Amino acid sequence: MKEGRTDMRFLILMYALAFVLLWEWLLPVIELTDTEYIAVFLYFIAISFLFGLLKMRWWLSVPLKLIYLFWSLHYVFFESVMLSRETVSLLTQDLLSNIGIIAAWNWEGITNPFRTVLFFVLLWMTIYLIRHWIEVRKSILLFYAMTVIFIAVLDTFSSYSAEGAIFRIMVSGLLLIGLLTISRISDRHGRKMGTGMFATFSLPLLFAVICSSAFASFMPDRGPVWADPVPFLKSVVQGEGIGSGNFVSKSGYDTDDSKLGGAFSQDNTVVFSATVPKKQYWKIETKNTYTSKGWEQLSSETLPVNIVPGSLLAFDGADSLPEGTGSLHAEINMKEQLPYLVYPYGTSKIHTRTDVVLQNREETGQFWVMKDGEETELDSFGIDIVEQKYSLTALRETSMDDYALESVDFTEFLQLPEQLPDRVRELALDITGKEESVYEKAKSIERYFARNGFMYDQQNVAVPKGNEDYVDQFLFDTKRGYCDNFSTSMVVMLRASDIPARWVKGFAPGEGKTNSRGKMEYTVTNNEAHSWVEAYIPGFGWMPFEPTIGFSNTTGIEYDLETDMSDPEAPEMEEREKPEVDRAETPAKKEEDSGFIAFFSKTDKFLRENAWIGIIGIAVLLVIAWNVYKHRGKWIPKLLINTYRKKKTDWDMYTKQYKSLLKQLDRFGFKRTDSMTLSEYAKTVDRHFGGRRMRMLTEAYERGLYGGYTNHGDWAGLQEIWEDLINRASC
Amino acid sequence: MTSAEVIDKVLANIDKVMIGKRDIAELSVTALLAGGHVLLEDVPGVGKTMMVKALAKSIGASFKRIQFTPDLLPSDVLGVSIYNPKEMEFEFRPGPIVGNIVLADEINRTSPKTQAALLESMEESSVTVDGETIRIPQPFFVMATQNPIEYEGTYPLPEAQLDRFLFKLKMGYPKRGEEIEVLSRAEKSVPIDHLETVLTIQELTELQQAVKEVNVDHTIKTYIVDCASETRNNPHVYLGVSPRGSLALMKSCQAYALIKGRTYVTPDDVKYLAPFVFDHRMILRSEAKYEGITANEIVERILMRVSVPIDRVGSK
Repeated sequence: MKEGRTDMRFLILMYALAFVLLWEWLLPVIELTDTEYIAVFLYFIAISFLFGLLKMRWWLSVPLKLIYLFWSLHYVFFESVMLSRETVSLLTQDLLSNIGIIAAWNWEGITNPFRTVLFFVLLWMTIYLIRHWIEVRKSILLFYAMTVIFIAVLDTFSSYSAEGAIFRIMVSGLLLIGLLTISRISDRHGRKMGTGMFATFSLPLLFAVICSSAFASFMPDRGPVWADPVPFLKSVVQGEGIGSGNFVSKSGYDTDDSKLGGAFSQDNTVVFSATVPKKQYWKIETKNTYTSKGWEQLSSETLPVNIVPGSLLAFDGADSLPEGTGSLHAEINMKEQLPYLVYPYGTSKIHTRTDVVLQNREETGQFWVMKDGEETELDSFGIDIVEQKYSLTALRETSMDDYALESVDFTEFLQLPEQLPDRVRELALDITGKEESVYEKAKSIERYFARNGFMYDQQNVAVPKGNEDYVDQFLFDTKRGYCDNFSTSMVVMLRASDIPARWVKGFAPGEGKTNSRGKMEYTVTNNEAHSWVEAYIPGFGWMPFEPTIGFSNTTGIEYDLETDMSDPEAPEMEEREKPEVDRAETPAKKEEDSGFIAFFSKTDKFLRENAWIGIIGIAVLLVIAWNVYKHRGKWIPKLLINTYRKKKTDWDMYTKQYKSLLKQLDRFGFKRTDSMTLSEYAKTVDRHFGGRRMRMLTEAYERGLYGGYTNHGDWAGLQEIWEDLINRASC
Repeated sequence: MTSAEVIDKVLANIDKVMIGKRDIAELSVTALLAGGHVLLEDVPGVGKTMMVKALAKSIGASFKRIQFTPDLLPSDVLGVSIYNPKEMEFEFRPGPIVGNIVLADEINRTSPKTQAALLESMEESSVTVDGETIRIPQPFFVMATQNPIEYEGTYPLPEAQLDRFLFKLKMGYPKRGEEIEVLSRAEKSVPIDHLETVLTIQELTELQQAVKEVNVDHTIKTYIVDCASETRNNPHVYLGVSPRGSLALMKSCQAYALIKGRTYVTPDDVKYLAPFVFDHRMILRSEAKYEGITANEIVERILMRVSVPIDRVGSK
């Protein structure tokens, strides 16, 4: 309090190090949520620290930060558009509209600009806390520990790779802690440190940290001693084997889809791994005929097309394949033998060993691997991918009339069983009726499930019996299910709306990790077996859609709309953040690209389902905690006596003992005002307890404190008196 | 024999003649050991002179008394040079101020000129007459008295000069039982005549040296300075305690600690002595005086407010 404020240069150094730590917090958040504007947040942190350094008064710094916040929002959501009256009022309206949304407890309804505001506020508070830790408490250990734990958890459970981050955090965090300790020591001695003195203290620290971290980084890495615990944890969390018991099948790829429904359990067997820079949906085949119970492929077989490995593919209609801007390469290593290939969207070339021929069956999209006329298997193969980009503007201009212009026969993709209940058709028309373009119609169905209380569930999934229709049952009765339910329902509803659609089977992207060569490697297990939807959009061809809650469609939609800001909830924002929205509201998932999030959502589901137990539990814990706190006067002395008995007795220990006694007496009811001397206090205490124990203890303390007699004293004797007194004072 | 025991003997000796005035005796000895002087402000007849005499006799020191009157001249206090026809030169005859223990009675009755002469020699511990400076033998302890009830024909000491005195004390009337005891003791003989010397001047000088060895911790110094600076910031105070006042408080604390048998000063010493040291060093605003607030009350309030250091500096 009376010590001088921390030296300016020192503070700059501290803030710089804290900035690095905060940056490490931001990086994974940005990477995992696909937020693109990290610089905006970094500038905010920098500005906040700068204001702190300049000791700016709050009435100046708060408005400035708010202005910056508003400007950032404007920049993020309107980008190139100049700041104008309309944009500002739009943004303001949008932000204000959230008040109502929050008042209605509709957390999912919060708009993206407001989400960003909340994130800024979180950052603001964090920075404030860090400044408090650095300037007042001069201790950052808690924040440092949290940073390490946060990064470690992310590294373990998500696709975020924190190898570099851990190193940076170690160095900057250790430096920060060390420097703050030096500053604390200088405070304790009540004097400011000169530059020379400071250097003398900090240079060895710098040397130690840099040397040890450099040494550590050059040392060879050792492989993990334990097996990766993540799959085990996940299977425990997801409750394998606790299922309903009937209709339990293992997840995985199965060619027979004629009877869908029923629960299934986890199967962590790795099917293949793919080294590819971006997440891909791995397609195997499509099916065209819905039978009310499942899917079959009923069309007449066309002649398979033989493809020489390495040649340019022209399937799917080369003219409809959108122009790609970037090309990627994927290396696939099969762990389980399949006679057909898994391939991503935009596959342009397939590289295999030369002694095989690939047979493409156009009606299902399957690639069979043939050798000398017999089915065979590949251990590995490579695929060139042309990244697909769809212009959103063009997609929105598609019309139902355009189908007439297409030369394809859509009959098989509009097939629906005759016994399909009418309410399914009505629902489909109800959903799509409001939309104009084909694309928007499809999108509205895709969105329908997440917005109407459908649940993702692998266990409690019904099987249609008798005359029941699989889709009807899911849409109107159970509303619970996994990918097959969602995708089949979407196909059926698309067809009911006269949009040609087919059912696609394959694998979800899998779990990504940086491999030893620094490339992203996705591991796909049987749990990633997945089904989704392809709809034929006139002028574009077959486009994938993802109706299943918790999964995100990776189709490259280009948001090339004219910046028409008449609607603050412009679709582009919605699209960009869609995956995140899904994650936030999905109660559970089967196969998720990020295990961490799956874990999280499981916990979330558990908490929701057991909310009452949780609330009661928390209440009980609070009551217990309050009682423990309230009666601390009883148990703290016992604890103290035990603690100090074990320690050696000297002046420093005696000081602590005496101080704890003062605290205990205070709890007991002897209040000491600041202007009361210790011996005056001791007299009142002794008057109550009789004898002169407190005076003896105080005399010894004063001898040490004011007289400097700290070397010799009857510490053992004093300890006895102390124990006696603190026992009496234990309420 | 420890210092405390020696001093205790002196105090016990004084107790024989001064009944129920242990505190005043202690404070007087404190001032004596700290090398300061005392101003006793009280009505006549409560034993001021007796106190000083008893103290002087206990330590075997020479005792002088100056009765201040309006016509007293500086030379009557300091001494005068007289022509000696035999030696054919001027000879300095020291005045009553040149003594170990001096009682300056009713100091406010004399002219400011004479007061100044007294105060200056107290401060300097020397006398300068006709250009000749004579050191007053140590120990030198002045106990001045002033009568607070008579104002006619008096020259109150300027407040700025009052800080020449280490303490300003009030004697007060004895309690009923004590006064009866006074009467009983004086019934047959005068007690002071039988008082023995219990401390030599040599021993007293040693004690004064020992006072300087008493440890004053940094925290205590901080506490003293905090108290002093509070007087300067007090709205009722026109002129607060000077650094000389802080110094005086520290020195008297050292002496008092020695009397109490300690080799270190505690905050209790500071709290106990602060009123005696600070009261006469502050000048109150007229408004405060009209409201009847006294310097003593202000010091008490300050002591109630300043927090006592109970920790090492810097540690919480």
